[in-house]
Amino acid sequence: MKYLPFIWRQLTRNKIRTALTAGAIALAVALVCLLLTMPAGMDAMLKNLASNTRLVVVNEGGLVYGLPYAYIQKIRSLPGVVGAASWTWYGGAVDLDKGVEFPNFAIDPEAVGVVWADYNIAPEQLEAFRRTRNGAIVGRGTMRSRKWNIGDEVAMKGTAWPVDLTFKIVGEIPNDRAPHLWFQREYLDQALRAAGRNGLETMGIVWVRVDDAARVGPLLREIDDTFRNSEAQTSSETEQSYFKNFFSMLEGFVTVILLVTGLVALCIVFIAANTASMSVRERYGEIAVLKAVGFSRRLIFGTLLAEAVLLSTLGGAAGALISFALTQVLRGASGWNPSLGPLGGFVVSQAIAVQGLFLALFVGMISGVVPAFGAARRGVAETLREVF
Amino acid sequence: MIEIRDVSRIYRRGADEIHALEHVSLHIARGRFVALMGPSGSGKSTLLNLVAGLDRPSSGEVQVAGQRLNDLSEDELARFRARHVGFVFQFFNLIPVLDARANVELPLLLTKLPKADRLSRADTALRVVGLAERSHHKPAELSGGEQQRVAIARAIVSDPEIVVADEPTGDLDAKNAVEILGLLRDLCREFDKTVVMVTHDPRGERFVDEIHHLDKGVLRDSVAGGGGA
Repeated sequence: MKYLPFIWRQLTRNKIRTALTAGAIALAVALVCLLLTMPAGMDAMLKNLASNTRLVVVNEGGLVYGLPYAYIQKIRSLPGVVGAASWTWYGGAVDLDKGVEFPNFAIDPEAVGVVWADYNIAPEQLEAFRRTRNGAIVGRGTMRSRKWNIGDEVAMKGTAWPVDLTFKIVGEIPNDRAPHLWFQREYLDQALRAAGRNGLETMGIVWVRVDDAARVGPLLREIDDTFRNSEAQTSSETEQSYFKNFFSMLEGFVTVILLVTGLVALCIVFIAANTASMSVRERYGEIAVLKAVGFSRRLIFGTLLAEAVLLSTLGGAAGALISFALTQVLRGASGWNPSLGPLGGFVVSQAIAVQGLFLALFVGMISGVVPAFGAARRGVAETLREVF
Repeated sequence: MIEIRDVSRIYRRGADEIHALEHVSLHIARGRFVALMGPSGSGKSTLLNLVAGLDRPSSGEVQVAGQRLNDLSEDELARFRARHVGFVFQFFNLIPVLDARANVELPLLLTKLPKADRLSRADTALRVVGLAERSHHKPAELSGGEQQRVAIARAIVSDPEIVVADEPTGDLDAKNAVEILGLLRDLCREFDKTVVMVTHDPRGERFVDEIHHLDKGVLRDSVAGGGGA
């Protein structure tokens, strides 16, 4: 401890260089901490977002192919099914120049309260949704971001279907996690017929609520068996599994990001090592004087290494704090909103901060060990002769 | 105090051998102020390094303060220097980021003294060299003469028996040079230190007790100095 003031003075002799090096380390640690929050963030998001007793049924060939609307009646008649609602992508845009800014679907209004019971939509709003032909229920996230209120009318232009629709907001999904706008399927069907087109004969997704989690497995098989060898075979899974599969597509991406992060950390090691080398090289004379007055090689090595480790640890601590503050700001700004991907779930936990600090310690040790060793083993008489 | 017996020092530079010292023998008694003089390349700094435990001879024997230095390891030499030797350099070589007091305290970091005692001793050493009121100034805020005084305070703070000085007046004006030479002489007289100084400065001759002339690695002659007259 008695050497700490001495080490600190050496560390702060070139404040700009020290600050820049600490800044580089802080940035790298902040980046690593943020990326380390991804898996936990996705798990947390999945738990919040998805239910185990809500199933997703889509065309086996993929979402783009759709399913005949007639399937929904067959699904509703299967034992264990409490309710089923179709989703059909409308792709409506408030401003065509900006494109589709939030997901919007034509939906079966009578099933909403059953299939998404966990969304806690007010019963009177559900009733209004059923009664109002152009009624819409909108997620709180979208309501807030667009400053909409219940009773407002919203005009949208169709991008997936050639009809423009005007909706009256009659309800809100009281949860920031839902950005959707839902409206009556019949409203879109009638608008298409009025435009001289066939009615809405297909649907994109069927959401199914099951009465008991124990029946989920058999029911998934039963649904797919029901439509096997038909014109559109189905693929059924739980909502959790559905999102998990969606996220698993991101895993490769995350791996690449982690790899790049590792390389960035390695670059930071080189930068820090270069700084440590420069700092030691320009102090060869002073180090020789310290040796002359009796500082041993081990002590010289220790103080120089401690200098590098102290610098990187301070940088690392700043990085962990930055990442923590950033995630707090993100959470505050965006709320818990699945449309923003895993961003809302980012939480820099104590464990992640400790991992970031360990990374900083590692960077400090690796970057400091070579220059410290080189300086410690230089002969004192030889250095004094060279330098003075 | 210092016994040099038939010491040679040979450096190898590639295939060449440089004979920096050849069969030098020298005895320096305790409390003496000694000058090593000679032209550049005469081997005086090499001899000083051997006396200070910064280097080892190629042959012969170096005994200082009762210890044979030839066979000491690097760590043992470092401990020897910390205990027995104080250093004064031509360019002062203070640590620029530390103030005068912290520079003087440096050798005491190697002891087990508590901080209060270390600082008290550093203050005493600065008082001895007449710089008590400048203790919180950094080297850049001090004149050359003042910096050398701080360096002398650093050299004596751990109370070593020997002070080695390599061209201590080489970077000073005449007035400061005379003051520093007087200070080194006082260390011998008042504190019984043995001071070994390498110098080109002829003014030094009247302050020292004995002068040893070297040339081409060989000790040519030893004469009495002015002894502070």
